[in-house]
Amino acid sequence: MIRFGNKDFARYPFLKEALAYVTRNDFRLEDLDNPDYRHLIRKAEKKIQNFVFDGKIEYFIDYEKTHDTIVQEEVIVFLISLLIIRSISIEPVTKKYALNESMRFEKYLIADLNNVNQNDKTVRDILYKIFNELFGTEILLERNIYNFFKIRIDDYLDHTIAYQEREWNLINRTLDKGFVYLDGTEIVRLFRNELNLLIIDRIKKMNPERIPSTIASISNSFKLQWEKLYPSIRITNMHSITPPCIDHIYELIKKGENLPHPARVLLATFLIYTNKSFDEMLNLFKRLPDYNEQITRYQLEHLAGKRGLSKRYFVPSCEKVKLNNLCFETKICQGITNPSQLVNRKKYETL
Amino acid sequence: MNGQTIPPIDTSDNNSKNHDLTSKSDENMKENGNGSTRLWLENMFKKYYFKSNSNIETDSFFSEREFGFKLFDGKIRRHLTFRDHKELFANIMRYVPSDIYCSSARYQNPTANMEDKGWKGSDLIFDIDGKDLNLACAKVHNLTHCKQCNGFTNGILSKCSICESSLVEMIDLPCKKCISALKVEVNKLVTILLDDFGIKKDTLYIYFSGNNGFHIKVVDDVFFNSSSQKRRAYIQYLQGKDFIIDNLGFKINKINNEVTILPNKTLFNSGWRARILHELGLKTRNHKLDERSFNKIIHFNNTHETTLYHYISEKISNFAVRIDPSVTMDVHRIFRLSGTINSKSGLIKTVCNNIQTFDPFVDACVVGDSITKVNSKVSLKLSLNNRRFEIKVGINRVPEFVAVYLVLKHLGDYIDA
Repeated sequence: MIRFGNKDFARYPFLKEALAYVTRNDFRLEDLDNPDYRHLIRKAEKKIQNFVFDGKIEYFIDYEKTHDTIVQEEVIVFLISLLIIRSISIEPVTKKYALNESMRFEKYLIADLNNVNQNDKTVRDILYKIFNELFGTEILLERNIYNFFKIRIDDYLDHTIAYQEREWNLINRTLDKGFVYLDGTEIVRLFRNELNLLIIDRIKKMNPERIPSTIASISNSFKLQWEKLYPSIRITNMHSITPPCIDHIYELIKKGENLPHPARVLLATFLIYTNKSFDEMLNLFKRLPDYNEQITRYQLEHLAGKRGLSKRYFVPSCEKVKLNNLCFETKICQGITNPSQLVNRKKYETL
Repeated sequence: MNGQTIPPIDTSDNNSKNHDLTSKSDENMKENGNGSTRLWLENMFKKYYFKSNSNIETDSFFSEREFGFKLFDGKIRRHLTFRDHKELFANIMRYVPSDIYCSSARYQNPTANMEDKGWKGSDLIFDIDGKDLNLACAKVHNLTHCKQCNGFTNGILSKCSICESSLVEMIDLPCKKCISALKVEVNKLVTILLDDFGIKKDTLYIYFSGNNGFHIKVVDDVFFNSSSQKRRAYIQYLQGKDFIIDNLGFKINKINNEVTILPNKTLFNSGWRARILHELGLKTRNHKLDERSFNKIIHFNNTHETTLYHYISEKISNFAVRIDPSVTMDVHRIFRLSGTINSKSGLIKTVCNNIQTFDPFVDACVVGDSITKVNSKVSLKLSLNNRRFEIKVGINRVPEFVAVYLVLKHLGDYIDA
């Protein structure tokens, strides 16, 4: 069992040590209709509104209360949130919530890894244990040099990001004696996917005997809000063929998946090429779990050549699409070198 | 690669064990067994294996490895297993293969089809091949052989200079310079494997391939389990591919060549960063580039004809190891077994205990030395076994190891005394 300064569990309610704070008091999800929990349900509701609908990772932990109360409340809010999301049961909602919730934990981890006093061995060791026990990876501290953590090369390469993004390729990491050196932020970033999957897993494991009516009512209201905001995607042009690579991206968006950077560039340049308006494009991108209107707008304007050096980016070539593992070639792709070439090819030509 | 790639040629033979070799190979041998040269070569190989059986390297996982034989009739047999060294030796003496291979991988069932073998893991292997170095000397001393007119021309040509046929093959005749250049690559690779990958010296084995290259094998549990994808990442690292210059701690604007130190970025000073900064004569303090270093970069940028960006790219290219990526990534490949003869040269695949002093033309040349007659098609000078030979077109009386070299390089024919 980890010996932890107990208020610290409030930041990591997914740890079994944190959960123990509520289970020892016979907390049951089925009892959430009890008015005593109303303020915590409201806090969870607000969090979901922020994370899923407003795209804000805003959350506040009140450290003014007693240690036990802080932890108990935070664990319960965490569990209520999972239960609401489970009850909503819309995949993109689950994914969006999981991404933002994991990013919240990321922030705590980064702050703890970077700010903990060099000599505060206990807390550092606790953080390594979080990685070790939850994700089965040993993170070591380079004790002689400030601010560096190290992870075995083999463990590093277990993370898909090592292959997806150039700056995360092994060649662009510092290697020494079998270890990859990373700072606190990078260590946490490396585990983003795992943290995200952990939250999704916890949501899926939420199977209480019955959903309390208070929770069911909130879930229904969120469900309606989502369906009103995001009617099903209709981006077909009757006169042209949608390239299979673009279709695949639409499918990912429908499922609420987060898109890798090259997929976003491919989709944006394609939409720009097909003369979609900024509003139409934003409407599509806002379905992404990590959507941020300001950043998306800026990036779309940049790609459309309306910012910076006024260079308009063209749709990446099929070769580049293949290199980025985004190609889902079918027979309609025969003879093309760029997905944009399909835009003007009328459907009957290939039927 | 020096012929290490051997695709399975007969799928119907996939489940065959070593004793299944008999009928087919014997049949083929009878069909193609038409020259005294082949019989003489087989005899030479048999003589070597009889005398040097103990040179053949085997490990304690013998029964989990897949073996492959290439026979003198050109047929290849894969998916073979042997219980022990004794059984392997008995089969070598029986079938006298021209080449003997063993998998870097270990399997639950090595004789099964590739999909059913049950991959347990694979030693990490790197191949450094003379052909990949594009050496200037190779363009002079290698020969081009025309399969159409049977003529030989000095240099590496895409067409025969005599009959203009494009049916040509390159005959590589590595010289001492080639071997030195290969050793430089081996040393670069070993340095990165030890310093960056933390591989222990006693788990790393260097072999002369038996022709014009070196193999480096790492026997380490961590790397043994690495997937092809992870091995690709190792290759990218060793080749210095896609290195981002920002990793050095500064940015170079490719358009105006302006250099900016990256503020607040502390990078651990090791690996590629340390190598390149050292080449640039830049020192770090507490892993950061200081004001003095920054001024040095600016000075370099202003005083050199080449741009800093190109200078760094050149340095990366110098440090990059020239390895064959497909070899390292292929976790099912079979490799020439150490201690066996390479039929491209007659030299032995040999473990190099000291790469600096290793001389393949002496240490890997162990076939007999009885005098043999060879009808040479070319004139050339050879240095083998610490002796120099001047070969003339026509009949030459040379020791067996020279005769084997000339015949296997297709430069001469054996003359039956």
